[in-house]
Formats: sequence, structure tokens, C-alpha cells
Amino acid sequence: MTETSARAVRMAYLVASVAGGAFFAMSVVLLGVWPGRVLEAQSRALAPEHVQALTVSEQRGREIYGREGCAYCHTQQIRYLHADMQRFGAPTLAWETRLDYPHLWGTRRIGPDLAREGGTHTQDWHFAHLFSPRAIVADSVMPAYASLFDGAADRPRQSARDLVAYLETLGRARELAGPEGAAHAREACACDRDEMLMMALSTTLPLNASPARPRPRGDAPELTAAGDLVRGRALFAASCAGCHGAAGGGDGPGAATLRPRPAPLTQHSYARARIVDALWNGVAGTSMQAWRDYPVEDLAAVADFVLSLDATATNEPASAEQLALGAAVYAANCAQCHGVAGDGRGTAVAELRIAPTDFRSQRPSLAVATQALRLGVPGTQMAPWIDRLSDEQRVAVAHYVRSLYRSGAARGGAAR
Amino acid sequence: MIVARSGDSGRSVVVDQGLVRAHALAAFVALLLSVTFGLVIAAQLVHPDLAGGVQWLSWGRVRYAHTQGIMLGWLGNAFFAFLYHGVPLLTGRRVTSARLGWWLFGVWNFAVLLPGWVLVLAGVSQPLEWAEFPLPVDAFVVLGLVLAAAQFLPPFFGRGLEYLYVSSWYVIGGLVFTLLAYPMGNVVPELVPGAEGAAFSGLWIHDAVGLFVTPLALAIIYFVIPAASGRPIYSHFLSMLGFWLLFFLYPLNGTHHYVYSAIPMAAQVGAIVASTLLGVDVLIVVTNLLLSLRGSGVVPRDIGLRFVATSTVLYLIVSVQGSLQAQMAVNRAVHFSDWVIGHSHLAMLGFATFAGIGGIVHAWQRLPSARYNARALEWGYWLLLAGVALMVVDLTLAGLVEARVWQSSAPWLDSVRAARPYWIVRALSGVPIAAGFVALLVGLTTGPRGGGLKTLRVAQPELAPESGVAPRLAPAEAAS
Repeated sequence: MTETSARAVRMAYLVASVAGGAFFAMSVVLLGVWPGRVLEAQSRALAPEHVQALTVSEQRGREIYGREGCAYCHTQQIRYLHADMQRFGAPTLAWETRLDYPHLWGTRRIGPDLAREGGTHTQDWHFAHLFSPRAIVADSVMPAYASLFDGAADRPRQSARDLVAYLETLGRARELAGPEGAAHAREACACDRDEMLMMALSTTLPLNASPARPRPRGDAPELTAAGDLVRGRALFAASCAGCHGAAGGGDGPGAATLRPRPAPLTQHSYARARIVDALWNGVAGTSMQAWRDYPVEDLAAVADFVLSLDATATNEPASAEQLALGAAVYAANCAQCHGVAGDGRGTAVAELRIAPTDFRSQRPSLAVATQALRLGVPGTQMAPWIDRLSDEQRVAVAHYVRSLYRSGAARGGAAR
Repeated sequence: MIVARSGDSGRSVVVDQGLVRAHALAAFVALLLSVTFGLVIAAQLVHPDLAGGVQWLSWGRVRYAHTQGIMLGWLGNAFFAFLYHGVPLLTGRRVTSARLGWWLFGVWNFAVLLPGWVLVLAGVSQPLEWAEFPLPVDAFVVLGLVLAAAQFLPPFFGRGLEYLYVSSWYVIGGLVFTLLAYPMGNVVPELVPGAEGAAFSGLWIHDAVGLFVTPLALAIIYFVIPAASGRPIYSHFLSMLGFWLLFFLYPLNGTHHYVYSAIPMAAQVGAIVASTLLGVDVLIVVTNLLLSLRGSGVVPRDIGLRFVATSTVLYLIVSVQGSLQAQMAVNRAVHFSDWVIGHSHLAMLGFATFAGIGGIVHAWQRLPSARYNARALEWGYWLLLAGVALMVVDLTLAGLVEARVWQSSAPWLDSVRAARPYWIVRALSGVPIAAGFVALLVGLTTGPRGGGLKTLRVAQPELAPESGVAPRLAPAEAAS
């Protein structure tokens, strides 16, 4: 190498070295600092004025979520993609994560995204599921977090309570902002030309699109075609048996700690539409999630399989006096919630977290009905009547509510 | 310590033999443990209750230990082992100090790796990808990187920059930029919230691979090819072009980990453009490397050379795949799926690990008193290659299957059910991989002492250290 060319090479390297440093700095500025500033301005414009911070318990739950690597299977980031929005809901806005130190976005989804998990499952469900995931979801591959419990799903340690409290916060801020928040944000950002923001703030998009999220009864599709019983049995075994039991007795491995207990399907006669409704909408307030992600043929198959489980005696003779007594007691004590006609639409329904049984579309066995009257139904507002009604009265009411059943009832009570 | 000849000057130089051995063995110990962690979590996807409720064995924690162990424990030690051999030969000078070397060894293994593992398994960690060791451990990583810079960089600055061979540039670039990038990925997201922090995480996820793993792996490849084949690199100009383009483009890739996210679209698009250009850069680098390998055969007989040649091919595949999956049309489907897990294994277990092994085997073979069992190394190569190929193909298919379910309206759980057979194959693919690593360790710890040099003297007497012919590692000698 001659001295001139050596000097030229040296200069070139020096320039390149400076450029290398500059490119690194540029990457930090262009891909780190600048987006941060944009997002901060955007958050200021779009976020509700007072975003609720995490409580101490929720914060501890967040730390457990972090240390157990939950974010490595569950993202918390709904992308601006049809597939994501349809499954999980409105795309995640930067301000929704602005209390996250550090972020928990994740880059892999083995389980579903959890950005909108709050309000999708009950606390009971989370406890049972964390304690033993496969007791609830047979084909889940989630690790069991039994160490957060004192030996049973209904004995959560503080750590399990914290974790579930944190899960309940996911999506909360945006949900609390409500449609008013979205309208306010649309106005504030003046972003008609920002395709992404317009997608995120769309009014037609459900905030939480989770097909498992329970909804009030009433808008299930009408499924008239008969379901495939073989398919129904297989689906039941895979998705329902965990709680309702392999034979439908309400005694599956995940059942013990759920309140209310999963319905013993063998002990009820159902109108088919009632089952379809429960599958489509879940049972709000209980751990019965919705199954809207399954094709309607599958729901019909499960519905027909559940109908086939009915083992209640159709013939429980009741005298006319018994029914008259039952009717009188019912009118005095039960109609406020269960409705004068027994359709579950009593005047007090608006106060109730869980819709009262609609006896026209659901007939419990005599044993189940008398048991509920004696001891109430834990986890619901159905109170024990053991000290308020005599044995005779309770049996009479049980017979009476059973007599209300109309097997052809088109759909369940549209309470709530 | 041994005396070798520097390619630069033909002078005799001193290699700190003990440090090569210590880091190589530590690398293999970390590797076997990290692979065990990997097997444990792969098996848990097939048998989720395998951990039996033992919290420190649960999937999330073991995954943290797996990836950090591979990056810092295995590759970190493997790179250092190579540098103790490579830096003196590249520069004609000794590394700064053997004493400093043992401090670096101690910090890296006993203040970073060991406590890092214990802490993440005990539940003290940060949930940031490729940054799971908690902050106190991060401080020791930075200390280790500073010690490494002090140990390996000064010898490079003895003569003018124009005398630096491309491997030297990669070593300098890798150590300097890792030192800059590490705190950005490990500390900044703790201080900057949510989406803003994620932007920095994205940068680091890519910088960890692009500024630490890739440069040092390429330093090994560029070193071993001429040193083991006896032929100079094809073009020094292309080498340097590839080097600078890599360092310009790599840092700009990060945001492609968050395509279609809340991060401003301009940043996403910029990162995708950079990812595409990076693929072009890799074509330049790999073309140069493959042209340099002409005459060595498809399966080179020299095992160190064979590992780096395979690494070169895997580098090409993984980079083209990377550029492809950064494209929005592809990313929207395969992101979040096992396709990406296949990609990262192709990068870390394929490209980087093959380079790391190539570097260790090459250096080890030249230690006069080290044991060397060529047959076991041969077995190790084929087992590893078969295992990696099986795993990557399997995970790529799994990713496509998952993507297909996700694009449909089928229930989420269907994607888990559909992935199960692939997860079984993936767990099984870990068996030849683990067996391959055991075979490699056997290859380095059994057989006759000095067996590597003996093999070398028979196969390529002109390249043995005492031949007086130095490996051709100087730019001035590069034909172009």
C-alpha cells in the first residue's frame, strides 16, 4: 500500500466510523425517541383525563404476571389488523399502556391476547383456571400456577388474588372511557386522515370482541337444524366437561370452586333455545363463558347433546292442592325476581347480577328445585328459604315452578 | 500460553491458552444447561403438567433462563474463547492482561450468568425479551463488556486503521456497540412506559442479535475461513462494504418486531425498509464468504471450517427469511407464531452457534496440549445439523398452520390443538441437538492430548503453527 492510498483508506474508515456511530444514534432517535414523543403527544390528546392507576394489589399482580413470563404466551397488544380486531377488539392505543413500566406487549401468542381480558371471565373462573388450567380447558397448554394457592382453587393466596386483580384491569381504562371517550378522542385528535387512529376509534368496532365474554341474554341465533350428536359429544368432552362433568352432572374437575356451581345438566329439562342462548351469550355473572367463536352447527350439536343428557323424571305427581299452594307461595315470594309468569322477568331483575331462572324454558328436577329452595344457590341472589317457608310450602313451590315449563318455549327470558 | 504466528506480521505472538480453555469449557457448560432449559420448556408444551407445580421449573421462568443462557452464557463465553485466540493473531500483539482476563471470566460467569439464572428461576427478573436478567445483573453485564473492551480492543490500535482485517472491525464494532445498546434495551423500557418503552425494546431485540451476536459470529467466520483453508478472503473491499452496511442498517431494524402496532407507522415502515436493505447487505457478505470458500468443498474436511461454512449458509437463509418476514404482507400472518421461534433458532442455534463452535474448534485444535477427538466432533456436527434442520422446518410449518387458524374464524384453541403435533416433533428435535452438543464436548475433552495439532499436521502441514506460514488475515494480502 502506498502512503497516499493508506491515508485515503484511513480517512474512509474514520468517516465510516463516525457514520456508524451516527447511524446508531439515528436509530435511537428515529425509532426510539421520536416515536416516544409522537406517542406521548397522542396519549395526551386521546387519554381520558384521569386514568385510574393500579392499586397496590393490582401492581403486585402485574409483577407476578411479569416474573412468570405470562407475556411470553399472551400478548397485550391488539394490532391494526382485521384478524386481531375481530378476535380481540379495538386496536391497542398507546395511552392504554402508559402506566406500564415496563410494557408487557409480548411477541408471541400461544394463548389469546389479554389486552381486553377484564370482564371476560369471573374471578372464580380465573382461580380455577390458574390453579389447574386443564381442569377448565382440556386442551390448554398453560402451566398450572398451583403455588399461588393453598392446595385448592378456592383457597387463593394473596398472590393469586393480586394476579387476578391485575387481569381484571386489562382493558379497564378504555372501557371506562366508554363511547364518550372515543367520541372525545376523535374530536381531540382531529385525525380524519390518520387511518390507524380512525380504525382504533371506530364506533362500529366492539372494544372487547372476545367471543368468550358473556352478554345479556336474548340475541342468540335461531338454530333449527338438528345437531350432530357425535360431534356434540366430542365438543362437550373437549370444552364443557371440565366444569359440567363428563356425564353432565355439574361435577367436572373445575367445578368445585365455581359459585354458582356449573348447572347439573342431567338434572334439568331445557328448551333448546335456552341452551343455544347460554352457549351464544354465556351466562352473565357466572363462570359460564360464551362460545361465539364456534360455528353455529357446532353450537347446535352441543345443544342437542345437552338435551340428550336430561335424566329428570318427567312424572313427579303433584296434587291440585299442592299446585295451588305452590302458586300462592310463588306469587307472594318468588314473582318479584322470577316473574309472575315464571319467565325470569320479575320487577326486581334490574337489581340482580345474575338473571333469575326462567322456569318456562328450564325445568329443574324436583330434587334440585327443593334443594335450591332449602339452601339457596350460592353465588347467586337466590336465598335459602329453609327458615321462611315450611317443608310443605317449599315442595309445593318446587312442583309449581316445574309445572311452568313449556318445552317449546322459543327463547329464554330476556331479563337484562 | 502458546506462541503462534500472526498473519499480519509473521511475528510470533502469545495466545493465553488457559483463557481459551476456560471460556470454551464455560461456554459448553452454559450451552448444555441452556439446552436442558430448552428441552424442559419444549416438553412442557407437550406435557404442560411436567413441572409438577414446581414454580422455578415453570415454563415462563425457564424460558427466561434458556434465552439469557444461550446469549450470554453460551455465545458470550464462546466469543471470548475465540477472541483469546483470534485477537493476538489478528494484531500480532497480546491481549491487555491475563489477570484482567480472569476477572472478566469471573464477572461474566459468576456475577452475570450464575446469579442471573438463579434470580430468574427464583422469580426476580424483568419481563423484557432478551433482557430478562434483573437490573443488578445488568450492571455486571455492562461491567463485563467494559472489561472485554479493555481486554481485546487496545491491541487493534497498535497500527493504523488501514491494516485492520475485517474480523478486527467486527470485533471492535461488536464490543463498542453492544456496550451502547445494552443499557438501552435493559434499562430504558423500565423508565419509559408502555408503547414508548416497547419502541426501545424493539430496538434492543434486534441490536442483541445485530450488534452483539452477528458481528462476533462474522468475526469468527471471516477469521476461520482463511486461517483454516489457507486461501485469502475473496474481496477485502466487499468485506468492508458488508461490514459498514451492517452497522449502518442493523440498528434501524428494531421496530419490525412491532408491525401494525401503536408505534407510529413511519417508524414501522422505516424499519421494514432497513430490514429489506439489510437482506441486500447480507447477500454481499455471504457472496464474499462463499467465494472465499471455493475449493474447500461443499463439506470441508476441517471441522472448524466446516462449522463456519455451514454457519455462512445458515446466515444467508436466516437473513433472507428475516427480510421476508419483516414485509407487512408476511408479517401480518406469521408474527406471533412459531414461525418466528423457528427464525430465532435458525439465527441463534444455527448461524451463531455454528460460528461459535467453529471458532472454538479452530482455536482448540491449535492448543498444543488440548485433547481432540475428531470422530466425536464429526458426530456432533451431523447430529446438530440434523436437529437444527428438523426444528426449524417443523417450527416454520407450525407457524404457517397457526397463522392459518388465526386468519380464520375458528376458535383460538384450535391453533393450540393444531400446533401440538409440531410441538412434539420440536421437542424430539431437541434430542439430536443435545446429543450433538454432548458429542462436541466429548470431542474436546477426550482423545489424545495435542490430537488437534497432529490432525492438522497430517491434513494441512502448511497451516500448522510451526510451519512458519501464517494464516492470511491481513487486508494487504487480500486478493480482490
